Amino acid sequence: MDFICNFPFFSILLSLFSGTVCSVLPAKAAKIVNRVVILAVGLMSAALLLYLLSTGESFIYWMGHFPAPWGNEIRAGVLEAGMALFFCIIMYLSMAGGAHKLPGEVVESKHNLYYILVNLLLSSLLALVYTNDMFTAYVFVEINTISACGLIMIRQVGRTIEAAVRYMIMSLLGSGLLLFGLCIMYDLTGHLLMSNIKESVELIVANGEYQIPLIVSVALMCTGLCIKSALFPFHAWLPDAYGYSTVSSAAILSSLVSKGYIFLLIKIIYRVIGFSVFNSTRMIDVLFVFGLMGMIFGSLSAIKENDIRRMIAFSSVAQIGYIYMGFGMGTQAGMVASIFHILSHAATKSLLFIAAIGLTDVSGGSRRFADLTGSAYRNKWAGVAFTAGSLSMVGVPLFSGFISKLLFAQAAVQVEGKMLASLIVLGISTVLNAVYFMKTVIRIYTATTETPYEGITFRHMKAYAVTLVFFILLNVILGVSSQPVVNMIGQGLAMFA
Amino acid sequence: MGPNLFANYGEAVSAILFCIGFTNLLLQTNLIKKIIGLNIMDSAIYLFLAEKGYIAGRAAPIVVDGVTSAERYINPIPSGLVLTGIVVSVSVTALMLSLTIRLYTRYHTLDLDEISTQLKREGK
Amino acid sequence: MYLILSSIFFPILAGLFLLIRFRTPLSGENRAVSRKTLTSLIGALLVITAALVVAALMCAKDGFTLFYLTKNLPVCFRIDNVGRLFSMLAVIAIPCAGFFSFAYMKHEARESRYYGFYLLAFGVLNALCFAGNLITFYLFFELLTLSSMPLVLHNGSKEALMAGLKYLFYSLCGAYAALFGIYFLYQNCDSLTFTADGALRASSIAEHGGFLLVTAFVMLLGFGVKAGMFPMHAWLPTAHPVAPAPASAVLSAVIVKAGVLAIIRVVGMFGRDFLRGTWVQTVWLILALITVFMGSLLAYREPVLKKRLAYSTVSQISYILFGLAVMNETSFTGSLMHVLAHGFVKAALFLCAGAIIYKTGKTRVAEMRGIGKEMPLTMWCFTIASLGLIGIPPTGGFVSKWYLALGSLKSGLPVFDVLGPVILLVSAMLTAGYLLPLTIHGFFPGADYDYGGFQKKEPCRLMTVPIVILTMLSVLTGLFPDMVAGIIAMAITGR
Repeated sequence: MDFICNFPFFSILLSLFSGTVCSVLPAKAAKIVNRVVILAVGLMSAALLLYLLSTGESFIYWMGHFPAPWGNEIRAGVLEAGMALFFCIIMYLSMAGGAHKLPGEVVESKHNLYYILVNLLLSSLLALVYTNDMFTAYVFVEINTISACGLIMIRQVGRTIEAAVRYMIMSLLGSGLLLFGLCIMYDLTGHLLMSNIKESVELIVANGEYQIPLIVSVALMCTGLCIKSALFPFHAWLPDAYGYSTVSSAAILSSLVSKGYIFLLIKIIYRVIGFSVFNSTRMIDVLFVFGLMGMIFGSLSAIKENDIRRMIAFSSVAQIGYIYMGFGMGTQAGMVASIFHILSHAATKSLLFIAAIGLTDVSGGSRRFADLTGSAYRNKWAGVAFTAGSLSMVGVPLFSGFISKLLFAQAAVQVEGKMLASLIVLGISTVLNAVYFMKTVIRIYTATTETPYEGITFRHMKAYAVTLVFFILLNVILGVSSQPVVNMIGQGLAMFA
Repeated sequence: MGPNLFANYGEAVSAILFCIGFTNLLLQTNLIKKIIGLNIMDSAIYLFLAEKGYIAGRAAPIVVDGVTSAERYINPIPSGLVLTGIVVSVSVTALMLSLTIRLYTRYHTLDLDEISTQLKREGK
Repeated sequence: MYLILSSIFFPILAGLFLLIRFRTPLSGENRAVSRKTLTSLIGALLVITAALVVAALMCAKDGFTLFYLTKNLPVCFRIDNVGRLFSMLAVIAIPCAGFFSFAYMKHEARESRYYGFYLLAFGVLNALCFAGNLITFYLFFELLTLSSMPLVLHNGSKEALMAGLKYLFYSLCGAYAALFGIYFLYQNCDSLTFTADGALRASSIAEHGGFLLVTAFVMLLGFGVKAGMFPMHAWLPTAHPVAPAPASAVLSAVIVKAGVLAIIRVVGMFGRDFLRGTWVQTVWLILALITVFMGSLLAYREPVLKKRLAYSTVSQISYILFGLAVMNETSFTGSLMHVLAHGFVKAALFLCAGAIIYKTGKTRVAEMRGIGKEMPLTMWCFTIASLGLIGIPPTGGFVSKWYLALGSLKSGLPVFDVLGPVILLVSAMLTAGYLLPLTIHGFFPGADYDYGGFQKKEPCRLMTVPIVILTMLSVLTGLFPDMVAGIIAMAITGR
């Protein structure tokens, strides 16, 4: 086993320990530690990705050198390493883009607390990505929830605390269901490691025993993770949580936290239950229907919204719906499209949150559309970035959103029964997206004659502007040369099996 | 169905308890009652795990008189899981309680809906 | 290759440069100074772009692939004769309207934004004409909507914003419906490269024939939105009146034609033999004829001049669509000729309307009595262009309508072979009915007209010269139809 195989373990532990270290450091040092850790983890993931691409197969890492079925395991394939790398990129950019707002939003004495939470979040995300053990996954799901909750409420106003409570309640419901499902699965199979569970599940299915408990367990785990990732009827907490927390938190929460759970669900589907077994349950139809409903109702709520950040938050509901629709198709192509959409949505949504804060800053801090009129002239970089993000969301060619829609449609065409429904809903949702995003873009580019607010120039926000440029580049790269990414996703899924 | 249910009454009870806790956490508007619901829910799962791990007539897997045969002991893993789970649920409960205190000092009520209406009135 | 690329990306980059460089609205003292440089700069840009396009049209032979969007979806460009024809229209009409706007936009705010998007739209249109496959086409079709929308809502008023949004909404719906079809074509064709005689696999036709017809119909409707075909035409009369006159000229003369080009491409992909005689053709014919008739009727009843012209566009574009729907070569020739004829005429008419609004501020037809005495040159051009639209020889409109009617009669379709020409004729009468009163009342205001109050209001050269050029072109296409027909014959045979 090469030395590089230690990297997943290193990166989880590094971010976990740096979180602890941050608690005794002054805010400034904590900030530097945080950035360095994210970069280091990103570099390690990139190296790992290259290594895995060259060897062409995944590996399993024994924690403490106990072999299965006793030890705890970490597993790394192309998809895991790629996801970890991507999470690091988005997290770094989100932190950089929101850094200038932090002093205004969080009390000075709590800054290092903030970095602790971010590091903790990163470590739990990495653990969710890499782990091969169901119970470890559950524990890190809870750690993820706690740190995300902390990120929401670190800005102490009434709204965020209420949002944090609501977020906690929904999350706990979700993790309760997940844990119960997991226990039933353990009861059925006698294992906690994903690969061992899968073998036993195959046996159970082949023997035709315990059909109902198996389906109950699958349903419980799926529902739990759906609640946690804010699939449509469970999204009530989302707009407040994303809309009022600090900007970096909002970007990270919308683009990473929910994606971590979704990625865990993908792992469960492939590595625990088995793709074909999962598709034979009716669960995929349920996911499909709720995905479609989310796509429409999320967009409708976004249209009604009069607050730019809540609007972006509601749009997340719709985008999560896209991802679940891809799961619901029950084909490899649908899954690839969903995973691509995870990437593209993460890149776009964090861009939108970061750009929106630039616009509200030059409008006296107000998020109402009436005050945002002409704000793109006052902060040009944010205006351009917001436009680019909107175009990507709408699915204009050359941006990442177009490719994911293309992939979804291509996947839909292959599924006889669900083709029409998904294409029609895709169409409706695209048009609805266009309505509210274009409305906003036009609004911010409508010049006003008298404006009470000051503009801002490049000199005063270098770091911010550079971050935005990186975000736009990321979007365009995903949109123009998507084929390597899609290939990588396919390769990663093949390694899952 | 009937005899099975009777034979596994521990699991059945835990499932019922889980549902009670779940509904409480979901539907109660009082925050403290919600937290109680959360704890009922978690305890139900631990009960389920413990029930699964226990095998009638066997002892806890602690070697006392040099008996090392696995036949004599119950499965220790669920107990380990319960311990881990309790740690998690304690920390989550603590977090929820601290949030509740924050909200109470701000809005002088434990009713989540009431808090929401107050927030709306603030108009922020 | 570089000619094509530069003719596409030069104006796009120039437009972006304008948008970024002159973001802040010009105002006060420096506006007067920089305006002159700005207009001369933009004039130069327009001329260079036009030259590039002409060079590309003359020299470029081979197609090429720019890059791959996904594995099987290349973005590629290729000049064929149909594209060449549309590109000719664009390359004449857009600079003309551009020069016109130098005078027209003098008093509007935020000119640089207008010109930025103007150039952007020019570049995108070139790309649309040169696109080599359906996916490239779709890509620039969307971009065209996005880059032309700011032209519609330029003045920023509430109606303009709503009109812009309406335009966006309709276009996106249409484009999405078309995309829907592209997915199916993608499944059932070997490649999405344009052909004129069907790219469907024979096995797919046998297997999903009925379904493919639905697809074809959805694509027709979808792209028909841009062309203002009947059920989805409502954006046109809303968007045109609020846009600045030169923008509506371009919108009506060229951008709407993008929808026609799209339909030609789609029909080519499916193959005429596949569609001929099916219910798709029948419904399409019905829709086109309804649009022709209804557009003229609405135009006849419309009191506001620009809106009247917009309705007239709705009607005239459906002449073209009718010709395409008949699906024989004569009518196809007629359609392509009408693309040119209508393009020149409608651009000229909108520019005339713009000149009238600019000089007198009058928008309603009823107020324009005696306008011919005040602005004789403009009104002469208006009259000649009107004749072209009605289809009176020796203008281009006559020749194209002749071919259209002839094609329809020769087609041997039941009912439509006669019904078509009849409706075209009725519509031509209506056209005369809604355009000529302007001329008549303009030149002969009647005995009670107050001759004392009238003054010469002829606009400056920057306005009149483009109008005259466009009017002359509309006549020339009629005088020398052989030349145009030659190119079109090449388009038909050389495909």
